[in-house]
Amino acid sequence: MGTKKNDILQGTLVLLILKTLAGQKHMHGYAITAHIHAVSDQLLRVEEGSLYPALHRMEQAGWVRAEWGMTGKNREARFYSLTPLGRKQLAEEQESWVRLTSGVGKVLRYA
Amino acid sequence: MRKWLGRLWNAIRPGRLDRDLERELRFHVNERIDELQDAGMNAETAARLAREQFGNYTAQIERTRDMDIAEGLDATLRNVRVSLRALTKSPAFSITVVLTLALGIGANSAVFSAINSVLLRPLPFPNSDRIVSIAQIQAKTPQPNIAPARLEDWNRLNHTFDAISGYYTQDDSEASGDLPEKLTHALVSPRFLQVWGVAPQLGRDFNPPEERYGGPNAVLISDGYWRRRFGASPDVIGKTLRLGIYAQQLSYTIIGVMPVSMAFVQRNVDLWSVSAPDFPFARNRDLTWFLGVGRLKPGATLTQARADLETVQADLAREFPKPDAQIRPGIQPLKEQTVGGVRQSLWVVFGAVTLLLLIACTNIAALLASRAAGRQHEIAVRFSLGASRASVAAQLLTEVFLLALAGAGLGLGLAAAMARVFRVLAGDLPRVDEIGLDWHIVAYSLLCAAAATLACGLLPAIAGTRRTLAGSLAASGRSQVSGRRPASFMLVGVQVALAVMLLAGAGLLLRSFQELGRVAGGFDPDHVLTFRISASWGETGNLKASGQTVKRILEGVAAVPGVESSAATFLLPGVPSTFPVELNVAEGRADSEPKIIAESRIGSAGLFATMHIPLLAGEVCPQESNTPGMMVNRSFANIYFGGEGVIGKHLGQPSSLYFPSAVVRGIVGDARERGLDHEPVPTIYYCGLIMQPGLYFLARTHGNPVALGESIRRKLHEVEPGRSVFDISPLTAHLSDAFAQNRLRTVLLTFFALTAISLACIGLYGTLSYAVNIRRREVGLRLALGALRAQILRQFLAQGMRVSLLGCVAGLGLAGAFTKVLAGMLFGVSPWDPITMTGVIVLVITVSIVASLLPAARAARVEPMCVLREE
Repeated sequence: MGTKKNDILQGTLVLLILKTLAGQKHMHGYAITAHIHAVSDQLLRVEEGSLYPALHRMEQAGWVRAEWGMTGKNREARFYSLTPLGRKQLAEEQESWVRLTSGVGKVLRYA
Repeated sequence: MRKWLGRLWNAIRPGRLDRDLERELRFHVNERIDELQDAGMNAETAARLAREQFGNYTAQIERTRDMDIAEGLDATLRNVRVSLRALTKSPAFSITVVLTLALGIGANSAVFSAINSVLLRPLPFPNSDRIVSIAQIQAKTPQPNIAPARLEDWNRLNHTFDAISGYYTQDDSEASGDLPEKLTHALVSPRFLQVWGVAPQLGRDFNPPEERYGGPNAVLISDGYWRRRFGASPDVIGKTLRLGIYAQQLSYTIIGVMPVSMAFVQRNVDLWSVSAPDFPFARNRDLTWFLGVGRLKPGATLTQARADLETVQADLAREFPKPDAQIRPGIQPLKEQTVGGVRQSLWVVFGAVTLLLLIACTNIAALLASRAAGRQHEIAVRFSLGASRASVAAQLLTEVFLLALAGAGLGLGLAAAMARVFRVLAGDLPRVDEIGLDWHIVAYSLLCAAAATLACGLLPAIAGTRRTLAGSLAASGRSQVSGRRPASFMLVGVQVALAVMLLAGAGLLLRSFQELGRVAGGFDPDHVLTFRISASWGETGNLKASGQTVKRILEGVAAVPGVESSAATFLLPGVPSTFPVELNVAEGRADSEPKIIAESRIGSAGLFATMHIPLLAGEVCPQESNTPGMMVNRSFANIYFGGEGVIGKHLGQPSSLYFPSAVVRGIVGDARERGLDHEPVPTIYYCGLIMQPGLYFLARTHGNPVALGESIRRKLHEVEPGRSVFDISPLTAHLSDAFAQNRLRTVLLTFFALTAISLACIGLYGTLSYAVNIRRREVGLRLALGALRAQILRQFLAQGMRVSLLGCVAGLGLAGAFTKVLAGMLFGVSPWDPITMTGVIVLVITVSIVASLLPAARAARVEPMCVLREE
C-alpha cells in the first residue's frame, strides 16, 4: 500500500459504511470497500483490517444485520443490510459530521 | 436477549465464529484476486498480492473476533487475561495481597466452620429439631433428674411426643479381659433409640423381654469400643461382656453396634443397656435418676409440648400430691442444651476474626489505592484510547477478584488445617468432632472472596478512575506539590480504629485472666492429685458397706509413701459448679429471719486437711460417727448465725433423702467452691460419703503429684481388685481445664488483635512512605529554600500521628460497643478498665510512632540537589 493512502478516521468509517448500505438493499464487505473506493474517486480506501471489525461492532450495536447468501458468481458471502436503528444512527452521524466539517471549515477559513 | 445469546454462543464456541469469519474473509480475498486477475495479472501473482494486501490472515480473524467478544460476556475473560498479566508483572505486590487475604479468609472460614458445625448444623439425627431434653424442676434442688416412674407416666399420658425416654451413666469395670477396663455405661429407659431415630449399624435394638425386669441382659456397644476392643469384627454380635454392676459381675450379651453419630447426650459412652422401668426399686417417686430426652410429634411445637406436659404433671400432682405437687417438667431443645453454653464465645471469636478480615481488606485497599495512583498514566492512556470508566474499573476489580480468589483458595487449605487445631485446642467444645470442611465452608470462602473484592477494590477503582485524574495525563507526577491522599489516610485511620477495638477486647480478657490467676481461692490446689474409681449406683443400696468402701480406699491411698492425706468429694473445689439447697434449723428459727440458702458440698472428713482449708472454730467431723455431721464456712456462720452460735445446731431438709438433718461440728475458712471466678458464698459441707459413680478422690502429696499416680493405682488394685482407677490428673489441671474455653478465646482474640495492629502499622508505614515518595520534589525544594530537616521530620511524623490519634479516638468509641458484648466474660475488671484502655492507647501510639518515623526520616534525608536535578 502506498504512502498516499488516505486513512479513514475511526468514526468516519462507520458513517461511510452506514451511508453506503443506506443506498442498497444489502452488500457484502468486499462490495462496501469497492463502493467507497469508487464513489470517492479512488480517494478513500477502506482497509480490510478496519472494515470487518467495524462491521462486526456495528452488528453488535444492532445497526446492521448480516446473513449468508450467494453472490452473482455463486460464491458464499456475508451480506450486510441496514436496520431501522442503523438508519437513525446514520442520521445522527451525518448531522454531527456536517457540524464538524462546517466548524473545521470555519476555522480553516479564519486562519 | 438474542444478542446476549449470540455472544454466549461465541464465547462457548469460538470455533464456529472463527470458521464464519474465515469464510467471510476468504470470500473477500477471492473477490480481490478476481479483480486483480481482471486487471490482467496471472492467477499466482494475484493471489500473492491479495494476501499481502490483506495482511496477516489469522491476525485479522483475531482482531475481528475480538470485536465480537470484546463487549459483554467475554470482556470478563479478557479482563482476566489482562489482569493476570498485570499481576505477574508485580509478583511481590500480588504475593503480599494473596497471603494477607489467605490469612484473613482462612481464619474467618475456620471459625465459621466451627460455628457452622457446632451452632448452625442440626444434630446428626433424622429430624433432630424435634429432639428435646426434658428435666424435672423442683424448688429445693437444682437436680434435673427424673424419677423412672414419673418418666413412664409422662411418656404414657402426653399427646405431643412420639416418645419420651431417659438415661443415666455410670462407670463400670469390664472384666472379661486380662485387666478390668473402665467403661462408661449408659442405662437407658425403653424407647431410647426411637427418640434419637437411629438404628444400630450392626445387630438390633432391645426387644421387649430385654426391657423388662429380670429379662435377658443385653447391651449395645459404641462404634469406638467396637473398633478398640473387637477390631470392628462383624461377628461381635452374641459375644458376652462381664460387667461389674450392682456390686456383682453380670454377663451381658452384645446385641448391636451403634453408629458413630451416637455421640449424644454424652460423647464418651461405650455401652448402652436397659434400666427396666418395672424394677421394684424404680417405683419410688422420690428417687430421681434419669436425664430425659424426647422426640416431639411432627408439627408439635415446643410451647404445645410444654403446656401438654404441664397438664400431665398437674394430673399426677392430684394423684400423688407428695412429691409430685412440687415438681414441674422443663423442656429445652436438645441442640440448645448441647451448644448453648459456647454460643457467645464462638460469636465473639467470629466477630474478632471478621474484624481482622476487614482490617486486612482495608490494608489491601490502601495498597491498591497507592498502586492505582502509580498506574494513573496507564489508566489515562486507556481512557484516551476510548475505554469507558466502567470498563477500566471492571478491569481493576477483576485484578482484585483474582487475588481474592487465590487468597480464598489458600485460605480454605488453612481452614482445613485449623479445623484440626480446633479439635486439639478445644477438645471440650461440644460437637468438636463434627468440625470440618464441607461445601458450606467453600461457599462461605467464595463469599468472603467476593466481599473482600468489593471491600478492597471498590474505593481504589472509583478513586483511580476519576476522569479528572486521568485527564491530567501530562501534568501528573512531575510538578505535583502537595499530593494529599485523604482516601488512603482515611483507610489507615479505619484500620487503627478497628485494631484499637480488638486490642481493647483482648486486653480486657487478658486482664480478666490475670485477675483470675491472682485470686486466692481459700484452698491450696498445688500438690493435689485427683482420680476416680469405678463404682455403680447399685452399691448405694447398702449404705454401710459402701461407706466402708470409701473408708478403705482413703486409708489405702493415705498409706502410699509420699501421700500426706487423702479425701473424697463430689465437686472439685474451684471448678465451676453450683448446688444450692435450702435448709431448716431443727432448733427452730424465727419467721422474721431470712431463709437459709447455701451452696452444698459432700466430702469426706479429710477434705479440709487435704485442701488446706483452715478450721476456724469447733472441730472437724470425726472420721467415724453415728450421728451425721457437717461443717459450715465462715460466711455461712456469720450471715445466718452471727458467728459461732451455729456450732451444735442441726441443719437439713427433714424429709429429704439427699439432705438429712446433720449437726454442725465446726466452722472452716471461706473457699471459692463455686469456681475461682466467683466470690465465696455461704457453704455447708456434709461429712461422710458412700461409694458411688462420679466421686473424686484427692491425695495431697509431698512432691510432684503426677509421679504418685502409678503407686496409688497399684495400691488400690490390692485394696479393691475389682475396680479400675482412671482420670488421674493434678487438681491444677482441672482448674485450668475449667477455664479452657476462656483461655482459648483469650488466646485467639489476643492473636487477632496483635495481627490487626501489625497490619495497621504496615498500612500506616506504606501510605506514609508513598506520600513521602510523591512529595520528594516538594521536600527537596523546601530544603533548598532553607527549610530545616527537623521541620520536615516533624511534619511527616505529625501527619502519621494525626491519623493514628483519630483512629484511636474512633477505636475507643467502637470499643465501648464491643466490650459491652464481652461484659459477661470479664472477671475483676470493668468494661472501661482504665489500665487496659491506657495500655492499648500507649501501645498503638508507640507502634505508630515507629511506623511513621522511618518514612519521616527518609523525607528529612532528601538531598535537595539530587531531587532538583531529576527535574
